[in-house]
Amino acid sequence: MTMISALLLPGIARGQTAKFRIGCALPLTGVFGRDGNLVKDAYAYWADTINAKGGITIKGKNYPVELLFFDDKSDQAESAKLVERLATFEKVDLILGGFGSDSVFAASAITEKYKYPMVSGGASSNKLFERGFKYYFSTLGKATEEVRGCVEIADMLNPRPKTAAIIGSDVLFTSLAAEGYKSYLKKLNIELVYSELFPLSLDDYNSLLFKVKQKNPDMLLVGSHLVVALKVMKALKEVDFMPKMVAFSYGPTVPDFIKSLGKDAEYVIAAAEWAPNLKYKDAVFGTARQLNEAYFKKYGRYPDYVEVASIGGALTEQWAIEKLGLVPPLKEADRVRIMEELYKMDVMTVYGRIKFGPDGANVEHPPIAVQVQNGKLVTVFPKDAAEKPVWYPAKAWKERKQ
Amino acid sequence: MLLLLFPLLKPQGYYFRMFSMMFLWMGLSSAWNITSGFAGYIDFGAVAYFGIGNYATALLMTKAGLPFTSSVLISGILSSFIAMFIGRYTMRLRGAYFGIATLAFAEAVKQIVFEFDRTFKVTLFEGSHGITLPIVHDDRFFYYIFLGILFFIVLTAFLIDRNKFGYALKAIKEAEGSAELAGVNTRRYKVASYALSASLIGILGGVNAYWLTYISPLDVFSVIHTIHMIVMALFGGIGTVFGPVLGACVISLANELIGAKLLYTYLLMLGAILLVVVLFLPRGVIGLISMKRSRR
Amino acid sequence: MEGEKAVVALLLQALVTGLLMGGVYAAYSSGFSLIFGVMNIVNIFHGELIMIGAFTTYWLFTLYHVDPFLTLPVSILSASLLGYVIQRFLINRVVEAPPMMSYLCTFGIHLILANLALLAWSADFRTVTTSYSGEGFSVGPITVPLARLATFGIAIVTTFAIYWFLEKNRHGKAIRAASQDKEMARLVGIDIRKVYALTFALGAGITGMAGGLISTYFVIYPQMGLPYTITAFCVVVLGGMGYIPGALVGGLLLGIIQSLTATYLTSGLSVAITFILLFIILILKPQGIMGRGAVE
Repeated sequence: MTMISALLLPGIARGQTAKFRIGCALPLTGVFGRDGNLVKDAYAYWADTINAKGGITIKGKNYPVELLFFDDKSDQAESAKLVERLATFEKVDLILGGFGSDSVFAASAITEKYKYPMVSGGASSNKLFERGFKYYFSTLGKATEEVRGCVEIADMLNPRPKTAAIIGSDVLFTSLAAEGYKSYLKKLNIELVYSELFPLSLDDYNSLLFKVKQKNPDMLLVGSHLVVALKVMKALKEVDFMPKMVAFSYGPTVPDFIKSLGKDAEYVIAAAEWAPNLKYKDAVFGTARQLNEAYFKKYGRYPDYVEVASIGGALTEQWAIEKLGLVPPLKEADRVRIMEELYKMDVMTVYGRIKFGPDGANVEHPPIAVQVQNGKLVTVFPKDAAEKPVWYPAKAWKERKQ
Repeated sequence: MLLLLFPLLKPQGYYFRMFSMMFLWMGLSSAWNITSGFAGYIDFGAVAYFGIGNYATALLMTKAGLPFTSSVLISGILSSFIAMFIGRYTMRLRGAYFGIATLAFAEAVKQIVFEFDRTFKVTLFEGSHGITLPIVHDDRFFYYIFLGILFFIVLTAFLIDRNKFGYALKAIKEAEGSAELAGVNTRRYKVASYALSASLIGILGGVNAYWLTYISPLDVFSVIHTIHMIVMALFGGIGTVFGPVLGACVISLANELIGAKLLYTYLLMLGAILLVVVLFLPRGVIGLISMKRSRR
Repeated sequence: MEGEKAVVALLLQALVTGLLMGGVYAAYSSGFSLIFGVMNIVNIFHGELIMIGAFTTYWLFTLYHVDPFLTLPVSILSASLLGYVIQRFLINRVVEAPPMMSYLCTFGIHLILANLALLAWSADFRTVTTSYSGEGFSVGPITVPLARLATFGIAIVTTFAIYWFLEKNRHGKAIRAASQDKEMARLVGIDIRKVYALTFALGAGITGMAGGLISTYFVIYPQMGLPYTITAFCVVVLGGMGYIPGALVGGLLLGIIQSLTATYLTSGLSVAITFILLFIILILKPQGIMGRGAVE
């Protein structure tokens, strides 16, 4: 009896001030705990920023935003269950996307079922867009596209790389990144001399990297999350191999990377979709540079591109509500209209341009590449967005001054 | 009875999901208990059959186009065949070694599913990409299925407990050497119980795949599932008929209420429960209850 | 590099890598073997001892900038102390009980330790990077990383040290006596409880040291324990449970097989190989390669 009433209580004690209740299932613990917490910070930042002005303004009245976070423990079944709870039990007005292609994959099946448009800034696997879903949107480009910058940068390098090797962990996002690398290498006529995917649980990369070392590729392209990126760098030093260029699909943009590796992180290139020097801006957050600084003020660190992508996603949902003049609590019909509005959107935000294609992916967002130079991330590609020229080739380990 | 009528109240989908999950776990831990509790061979690799069931059903439904029911049944049969083969060798080992061997088996199967396609250049298991099953929007359906299977499993456990098969298993648990001397074909009974557990776990795995609509090796072969089966059965009372059901009910509910916010604390709690049971309550909650009863 | 030279170089490098990795395996598995050999306890929180040693080194390095090799004694001490306390207050209670109880007990402790660490330190991945991290030297085309060589060297020294200790030292002999025949040992005046405490502390200490070394070339995180425990199982079963030199033999064997598999096949298979190998050995020769291991 008591347990049942405990479950029912939240339904009763609600709805004094009219506000927008927005839910999100994120990996706050588990393998993606770090990344999930970054996204949580991002959404919280967005909510705090607009709530400081009273919230979302509809027809002159202010409606504050309340965020509801659940921990999916980096588990996809859990993600699905929690999103269902948000939709049916908590009856939130809107749902924001989480992190991690697997979890978002499972969760989006639920939001599709309950007709909740969901915009995510933390998942990019192609499969997410191949299901014919109408309610799933992403501000990130597709995984295979995100890594484009890491390969196309070859045209800027002198002498132009002739060979490349691809390695990556065997999970959805990173294996797709590897496929992306492959297709772009082909387009640029760079020879692929070696390619291998390995289990995420692998501890010792030395055997693998000795193999790659022997093939001596000019470029090493890695499909990675933070932990894989860390392991690869440590192993590269141990096997005493530094290709002329090493690029990661994800990892170096997370502050822990540079912090943990120190000087060993120099020369590393990473795929990204946002950098503070880009000429993006909007009315809510100002310019990219301003967001960057304000974020540092609040959290003591600069935002990772996934965080800004998440903020961009929240902005689109906000603007859709404002344009349609909807007030909380939202009904299903309202959410259907929001979904339709999102497809019509073509806006510039502090994250960059957002325009959703018919499959929900962001089609107007060019991927960029950043490089670690002197302990900081610097945009190096494409040329018109570059802050500084790229450092190439990378210095061999023994030649670096420690 | 109550549970059968519950859906008539038209509760929200969330409740169906929650109960379905509870029934799933009650079933899994009961099935696990048949080998580990009755026969005393603590299986640390039970998730292998759960995963096999998930994948068999997923593949049969997506690649072979078989309907749900046949797929699940075949998954169960497949699991029991594999178990018969594996059990034949692993059950020659005792205690810890059996545990390690089964754990190694489960981890090996997980790795094989990951690597298979790449190694043999085929598209079968899809490795890390996972498999997507046809979407079903009917939570009530799963509620009844899980409830039905649970009922079947508990009934099976109940019957085993009362008949010759069960006696043989318990004899094996208490004093295998003497049982053998007395002429009991211990190997046949051990392997039979292992195959039975495996088939039931496999069936539940199959339903799970359809229920989740998306499976990947990391999730369905994860050792945490075995951990749950162990702790749930132990907590409720390993070796009893209703112990695992009770344990699973409580722990999965705790998982639902606490686990959403505090995963690590939840796992810590599991560990503490395990310690408490091992050190003070080896017969679990059921044991505690029957001890209290017999004191009157 | 010319064709043939390259082939030979790759093979030699794979062998060297395997040997060094084997040294690492031996370093963190000997403690496990010791504890089992003497107390018949399969210590499932073994990996957590590695984790504690690793984090001790990590925090001393990150917060106070002390070189990881200098803090090894502290890692030894912290793991040793933890092991001793747990043994005295928890393990002691189950050491006489049926084996099932002891490994469920150690399993519960594993859950508690791992999750306490998670709560304290979050799941972030960390590593120790000093100015000389990753340094190595070259012998012709072969690269030898220093930190691993150091671990390899320490593993060999430790193995022989323990072996000598058990054979020649008074306390060591008492430990051996206690493991061979408890009753006899008691009659001769050996305090079994002290023996167990010493053994556990020693085993834990060695393991903690290995953990400290590992933090310099691997990435560490609070849940790293279980995979290491499983590998330690494999190493020790390969070489023979309870037979100290066996941990070295098993480690080197596993290291080389993994390295060769990763080099000539794929890294994914090298992970699967571990379990397949473990499984096969358990079935065919549970006393390990050298036949000197204990079987339950």
